Amino acid sequence: MKTRRLPYVRNQTLLFAGLALFTFINLVPLIWAALTSVKNPADAFTVPPTIIFEPTITYHREVWLDRGFVHYLINSLIVSAGTMLISVPIGSLAAYALSRMPQRRASPVLFGLFTIRMFPHMLLAIPFFVMGSFLNMIDTYPLLILALVAINQPFTIWLMYSFFLDIPRDLDEAAAIDGCNLWQTFRIVILPLARPGLTVAALFSLLLSYNEFLFALVLTGIRTKTLPVAIASFGGEDVSDWSISAAGAIGIMLPIVLIMLFVQRHLVRGLTIGAVKG
Amino acid sequence: MSRNSITRRSFVGVATATALGPFITRANAAGPIRVISHRQPALEYYTDQMKKALPEGQVSVELMPIDKEVELASITMSSRSDAIDVAYLNDTTMQKFAASGWLEPLDDLWAKHKDEFKLDDFPKSVIDSISYNGRIYSMPILTNTEMFFYREDLFKENGIAPPKTMQDYLDAAKKLHQGRVSGTVMTLKPVDGCLNETHWYLNAVGEGWFDKNWKPIFNQPAGVNAITMMKQMTAFAPRGFTSAANDESTINLQQGLAAMGLQWFTRAASMDDEKKSRFVGKINWIAPPGGGQRIANDGFAISKYSSKDKDEIFKMIATAAGQKSMQKGAEFAMPPRLSVLEDPELAKKYRWYPGARASLEVGKPFPPMSDFLDVGAIVTRYILQAVTNEKDVKAALDQAAQETTELLQTRGYYK
Amino acid sequence: MRWQRGLWLFLVPSFGLMTLVLLWPLGYAAYLSTFDYHLGSPGMHFVGLANYAQLLSEARFWQSLWTTIGIALGSVAVEFTSGFALALALYRLTFSVRAFMILLFLPHIITPVVATLFLKWILTSNWGLIDATLLTFNVNPPDWLGNPIWARICVVLADAWIFTPFVMLVLYAALQTLDQAQIEAAKIDGAGGWRIVRHIVLPSLVPVIVFTVSVRLMDVFRFFDTIYVLTGGGPGTATETITMYTYQLGFQLLQVGKASALGIITLVIVAAIIAAFSGILQRGYGRSS
Repeated sequence: MKTRRLPYVRNQTLLFAGLALFTFINLVPLIWAALTSVKNPADAFTVPPTIIFEPTITYHREVWLDRGFVHYLINSLIVSAGTMLISVPIGSLAAYALSRMPQRRASPVLFGLFTIRMFPHMLLAIPFFVMGSFLNMIDTYPLLILALVAINQPFTIWLMYSFFLDIPRDLDEAAAIDGCNLWQTFRIVILPLARPGLTVAALFSLLLSYNEFLFALVLTGIRTKTLPVAIASFGGEDVSDWSISAAGAIGIMLPIVLIMLFVQRHLVRGLTIGAVKG
Repeated sequence: MSRNSITRRSFVGVATATALGPFITRANAAGPIRVISHRQPALEYYTDQMKKALPEGQVSVELMPIDKEVELASITMSSRSDAIDVAYLNDTTMQKFAASGWLEPLDDLWAKHKDEFKLDDFPKSVIDSISYNGRIYSMPILTNTEMFFYREDLFKENGIAPPKTMQDYLDAAKKLHQGRVSGTVMTLKPVDGCLNETHWYLNAVGEGWFDKNWKPIFNQPAGVNAITMMKQMTAFAPRGFTSAANDESTINLQQGLAAMGLQWFTRAASMDDEKKSRFVGKINWIAPPGGGQRIANDGFAISKYSSKDKDEIFKMIATAAGQKSMQKGAEFAMPPRLSVLEDPELAKKYRWYPGARASLEVGKPFPPMSDFLDVGAIVTRYILQAVTNEKDVKAALDQAAQETTELLQTRGYYK
Repeated sequence: MRWQRGLWLFLVPSFGLMTLVLLWPLGYAAYLSTFDYHLGSPGMHFVGLANYAQLLSEARFWQSLWTTIGIALGSVAVEFTSGFALALALYRLTFSVRAFMILLFLPHIITPVVATLFLKWILTSNWGLIDATLLTFNVNPPDWLGNPIWARICVVLADAWIFTPFVMLVLYAALQTLDQAQIEAAKIDGAGGWRIVRHIVLPSLVPVIVFTVSVRLMDVFRFFDTIYVLTGGGPGTATETITMYTYQLGFQLLQVGKASALGIITLVIVAAIIAAFSGILQRGYGRSS
């Protein structure tokens, strides 16, 4: 036992060191942006780079207080929560059904989903807008949520499909024999097993709707404008706006980071198939 | 009310599960006047003036980068929606929108309110640039010109005079290109940046874009010379010039990484702002050597599909474009009103105004055609291939000219 | 299979919504692609497949297609290898996994419109972080965004920076559903780490791998912000991709008919690539269930 212990510690240390180094390098652009958000533009882009400077929180304050980002944050949260709450359940249902069909029937459907996902969004944006104005729903939450759920469906279905596929069918059949109907089988037996997948699907549909730009630009107005659109309005023309972009972009990451902290335990080894089988 | 409930019903079928029903609101018909505009200090100021022209809450303004704004306006107006009432448009975009029939002609309103808002104060050149087929389509809000920015201190140190001709410019760039300081900024990011720079070279060295029948002439010897000179100049441009937009060039000047070059008037003030620039007071401005750099007259246009009272909208815009408003706005952009522009106080307050006025005299707007941006998209692509050595200059321009002719053919320019 | 009866009902909400909201714009675009339709002009003329024929005979189309394929394969390769390596590393690591996970995932959280701006501040010539640092030590760096080869590499790395976390997270979650018993059994049989990955981990991840790689391939073809902000397609036309062309046709030239045709062509090409890829992978490893 002891002989196996030593290489284990060594391997873990090496792994940790490697990951730490990679993580740091990977984060450099983000750290640099965070620094930019507390610098004045004259200090931000210099040769040599300015490391020591007098930090200013002007830009962060401006973003949240003067530019009304709180309002946009609320919009973003409504839209992304709404999207996630609709998208993941209906997507999982469809994915489960597909995963339990014979493959020759499921494949063409999945392929059809592909094509929808691949289509350039800018070509979808125009018909969407026409539809929205026809229904007189431009600048309302439901329209944007509807659009985002729809464009998010292929992704959710595909993701959940590949997770459901890993869950053996014997389990469904066993449940059926125990007298579960279809809904009960899905809800009680299958869904808990796909929890890591569900977490990932939820996280990504949240992210997609939180960060989506083109549809949010076209379908929202003053009332429902979301954070990315608000931030994009500071790109360009005046360099001092770049500090605001940075401050805004750093600021709006925080809610997602909090959510990630919260859902993380669902990602890590929970009730896994191995455990059930074993 | 009935409208509201219909909207609600149509939605309920799809997303009953959410508790979002109460958030549904009616679309634009009764809401505030919606103004969308490019974001820059001058336009922040003028849109603010619009807000102040009407009671609180009756005007909503959204600012965003110009490309997003034009996308939004195109999508909205092409689908005949009333979601946008007023949009900021530069002269070329205005032509395109007017040609598509998306804008409200303003002649009647213009005549009606002429005296109240002293609309005669705008010079004819400005009126021309906001007209399409003889009708007025937007309210001029700012005149913008590119100027020649140069580091006075570096020129003095090296004992050279500010350039008067393009050859002087090339020589100066060669001389000042040393160490970390590049000879000149070049703003060649497609499409916008490259198009502006090309416009200058084609006018200053070449003979322009088209003959009077809209046949391209930029591939004739003078045009080839112009682009060849541009290519020579790139040897003294900061690295990365092919992806440099106005921001990059501005920062290069502010950080002392380039000695001179063409930039917009609206960027001049930031050269003297110590929060942004490390060379406050060192940069000076003259008319671009050779002249023919771009002049733009930008304004606010009213959507044809707006469901609001257009008379009220017009008065709101005209108030923002009024004499008093523009006297203050002069800090951020050149006001198109003669009475304001000729005010001697301006030059005292803002030291870039003399250079700007000189630039106005020699500059040229883009050719007055509604399809010019499309032409630009084609031509800049080949010009970038030429200056980066992907293609021979002459061959690139010939191909650009051929594609331009084909495009204009399909748009009905040649009978 | 009695328990399967009524399964189709599960499809109704999702597919109903997609038919309602997505299918008709797609159909409409396919319809438009057979017209000579310029958004500004009043009329539209039916031209049959002329838009397609015109595009397929354009040098610009083919050039941007090859550029896109090069960039797409490059980024997906980088993203998959590093994402998979990271997922495995996290899977093996027994402590501080959660902290690493969040930190590694951060680049993916940044709003895409700004994420590229952040990278630009690193890569821009002269005053970007890399250049500014190197210049301070009198090293003359290459022209990252101005040299055709470097520009392509930068675009690939930029895309990888944003999307590797995505690949990592999906694969990591999939690793959590692995059959532990099987791995333990293999270990007892004396299989080494690499052999376990090769013969147990990879085969059971096939569906998820197909999923991640396909999604990334589709998105690389579709995305455009990264390149638009970083290089604008330059230098010259070195990084001009097919989406930039679609964008220019659709939004700048307002030639909606031709843009739709281009969209449909892109779709067919990506579908072919993905079909080939998933076919190869599934034949190679067989089905896990």
